[in-house]
Amino acid sequence: MADKPKVAIYWLASCAGCDEAIVDLNEAILMVADAVDIVLWPVALDFKYESIRKMEKGEITLAIIHGAVRNSEQEEMAKLLREKSQLVLAFGACACFGGTAGLANFRSKEDIFNWVYQDAPTVVNPNMNRPQTETSVNGNTLTLPEFFERVHPLNDIISVDYYLPGCPPPPDLIANAVFAVLEDKLPPRGTTLAPSKPLCDACPRNRSKPLRLEISEFKRIHEVEANEDQCFLAQGILCIGPAIRSGCGETCIRTNTPCRGCFGPVDGVDDAGAKFISSLASLISADNEEESQKTIDGIADLAGYCYRFSLPSASLKHKNKE
Amino acid sequence: MTTFIPKLVCFSCKFGWGYLNTNGYREQLKNLIPVTCSGKVDTTHIMDAFRKGADGVIILGCPEKECHFQTGNYQARKRILLLRKILKEFGVEPERLKVELNLDPEGTRIPIVIGEMRKEIEKLGPLSPSV
Repeated sequence: MADKPKVAIYWLASCAGCDEAIVDLNEAILMVADAVDIVLWPVALDFKYESIRKMEKGEITLAIIHGAVRNSEQEEMAKLLREKSQLVLAFGACACFGGTAGLANFRSKEDIFNWVYQDAPTVVNPNMNRPQTETSVNGNTLTLPEFFERVHPLNDIISVDYYLPGCPPPPDLIANAVFAVLEDKLPPRGTTLAPSKPLCDACPRNRSKPLRLEISEFKRIHEVEANEDQCFLAQGILCIGPAIRSGCGETCIRTNTPCRGCFGPVDGVDDAGAKFISSLASLISADNEEESQKTIDGIADLAGYCYRFSLPSASLKHKNKE
Repeated sequence: MTTFIPKLVCFSCKFGWGYLNTNGYREQLKNLIPVTCSGKVDTTHIMDAFRKGADGVIILGCPEKECHFQTGNYQARKRILLLRKILKEFGVEPERLKVELNLDPEGTRIPIVIGEMRKEIEKLGPLSPSV
């Protein structure tokens, strides 16, 4: 046991779908379990944080951290794991870019608390109670983690060595990443452990794309019966594939759903949403400003679509969504 | 009220808007970026400008039907319209981003256009990100 590399798997603001993805390694997970010593995995095994705190610096070979950082407890655990680990892998879209939970950044903390603890129709809260970081009860002090103003991707809080995006990451890339660590065949630090080409490159519908894409009216996927073989953009349905990294296995496309961007930007791009706007603009067919504006007005929730998985890492830090 | 001097970034098409090398305007206008074509200005450049502290961004392109590269100015305009929609959804005033398609080979109107934009941004105040 002692000489096996130690691996910690931890969740921050996460839905545990990433844990599920690790379990989806199926038989391969038995090989992983044989090869490593798992020291922390809250969703599957019972370990105490205290045992991590007692470890030496760098004692853990690999910390697989998924989920965004929304509160002080998550920040504390991320920093603890960073201190004790040689390598930190940001696992899944939330850890890499903030994820869907990051869409909360369109609202302020105050807005969120007002809705959740007061304004939502199912809430009864006559005393206007709000969660407090410290509460005194019968002479004892109860504490709660502090809810941050914003959702943060993992690299806002700690330095991250590798990134494995996806919602969740597909099993083949997980296996590649884990075995690359075990066999010491890792690329330079800071690398995203997924192909560097955009999704369109791998898309099974790529060949159906016309010579020139021209969109004069945008539709949402639930409003139409999408052709199962034709490029979504050619059908006027928003698909963020041109700006998104491939490697996901095109699962959405294969189930007739356009790409939503969980794999984040390709190499050399920080802001996939902004990059997508550039490519989308050139597809809009309009002869004058009025026509362009009309077509653009017809796109529902453009910012939400472009930043569905990456709002916290968007280049523009913003106020509130109107 | 303390004086607020808006930070503007101007991307200017070299074909339509002159170089401003001779008349000393260049020194007065910080952040004037000559580009080969307004269509070359990527949305990531604009977002980057806002991220690095610009209060407003203006893009100067050739007049309609007169782009040296056929449709670069149209592409720029569509891009700006899309991006203005995004800015609005982010809670940022869309007036902070403008495109002007016109012809000015001497570049003498550049300071005027920028001055007008500056006045508008002065009314809006600085672009202050939430956190």
